[in-house]
Amino acid sequence: MNSFKIFLSSAVFSFRAQFDWLNPAMWLTMKFVLSLSQMAFFVFVGIFAQADVRFIAIGNALQSVSWNTVFSVINITGHDKWDGTLTLVLATPASRLPLFIGRAMIHVFDGILSAAISFFFAAFIFGVNFARTNVAALIVAVILTAFTMAGFGLLIGGFCFFFRNPMVFANIFTFALLIFCGVNFPVQNLPTAIQPFSYIFPLTYGLTAARNAIMGQDLIQIAPTLVLQLAVGVALMLIGYLLFRSFENNARKTGKVEAV
Amino acid sequence: MPETFRVIYSAFRMAMLHWIADPQWVIPNIIAPFVFTTVALTLFRDSTGPFGLYAVLGGGMMGMWGNTVYSSGFAIEFEKWQGTLEEVIVAPSKLIHVITGRAISNALFGLTNMIAILVIAVAGFRVSLGISDPLMFAASLLLTLLSVSALGLIFASAFVLSRSAQALTNGLETPLYIVSGSMFPIALLPFWIHPAAYVLGPTWGIDAIRLATSADYVSQSFWAGLSPNIAIFLDLTIMILITLAYVLIATVLFKLVEKRARITGTMVEA
Repeated sequence: MNSFKIFLSSAVFSFRAQFDWLNPAMWLTMKFVLSLSQMAFFVFVGIFAQADVRFIAIGNALQSVSWNTVFSVINITGHDKWDGTLTLVLATPASRLPLFIGRAMIHVFDGILSAAISFFFAAFIFGVNFARTNVAALIVAVILTAFTMAGFGLLIGGFCFFFRNPMVFANIFTFALLIFCGVNFPVQNLPTAIQPFSYIFPLTYGLTAARNAIMGQDLIQIAPTLVLQLAVGVALMLIGYLLFRSFENNARKTGKVEAV
Repeated sequence: MPETFRVIYSAFRMAMLHWIADPQWVIPNIIAPFVFTTVALTLFRDSTGPFGLYAVLGGGMMGMWGNTVYSSGFAIEFEKWQGTLEEVIVAPSKLIHVITGRAISNALFGLTNMIAILVIAVAGFRVSLGISDPLMFAASLLLTLLSVSALGLIFASAFVLSRSAQALTNGLETPLYIVSGSMFPIALLPFWIHPAAYVLGPTWGIDAIRLATSADYVSQSFWAGLSPNIAIFLDLTIMILITLAYVLIATVLFKLVEKRARITGTMVEA
């Protein structure tokens, strides 16, 4: 019960903390503008290149979860350092695992909302036909993608404890997804040597599952992909947690917290 | 007048020193154009036509955009965090001159992105990109850089008063890439967006840069049917006029913003 309370308060505080620099109206604007503009940019590039616009719109719709689950989650580390709260977090006797994972959880819900808005844009602005979609399978794919990508965000966030400015990594890793995960073009279009790296990212599996669900496949048919995605996501989250503990131990020994 | 240049130069120098002291800040600005260009080059890989021209020059253009919007937004936010904005405001130098120096510095840094993109395009995607008129290319690039910087001044005036400048910066970046037709012809955009494209100086700048790179592009430029030199001249003339209008608007806005901030005292907490 105590762990659940830590998880919950950690989740709520990490979400509320972002309104220190972002007002709610701007948050809503960002939610709509970012999703739409990124999708529009690549759709127009796709039209110009005579590529499959449907593929691009769906890819960008699901990738929008990353702005919350990767970019925002990585930046929690940066804000903790910047605001001087990291020392307090490390000084609490709270169990570390719920505290660590809880920080990402509200961003998972926020990411699901981003994806819902983006799929709306894909359907009503860019004309993607969802007539054959297995809705239940798509919903599960979106939720699992948001959850597992938060695992990826926590991994990079854990790694970023050792660096002065996590925002740099937040940018690199959020944008890198556009190249590696099959967002705008199939993974097979990447050089062969790079393709294995694509499968480190849970988004790659999520996109395959979501596209199959939109093609009409049901939950059982996409289950193998989702199981792989879940395994990768949980593994990333645990590695991130180990990095967090390693940073904490190091900080206690050296006395360096924000000044790394 | 020399005093004005001295302030602009000092702000430019300070911004450069900040970049050198903490170069990792370059990454957030160049990563989006870099990734967008790589994606575009991959999408254009099997297509025939002047796609490399669009992707590579567009990517460079986006680098300038990204840096300028960023410099206008985040630099002000940074001053607020550091608590130095008040000192900048109370100094006898005009705020617009300080911001001008920074905007030019950041747009200049955006050019580094063009070099990175060129290297990737040539080495990774085998894009052949010769410049047919190097002199006009350099002139167009320089004037476009100034135009982007001037537009950055208008953004900066709004960002000074906003508590969400950083968020606005993130929100503005991609729409600007779209509206200015950085990586595809503006003709692809819905008709109602075209007026917004035409009031952006860099829209004309990128047209001139493409014309200076490849004379064959003239058939797709705003001036199809004219000779490339005349088309470049027209592009640059319109861009210069728009840039002058930006400077005029920014000067008025900065006066209003400074006045309002001094009356309400809400500049830092805005």
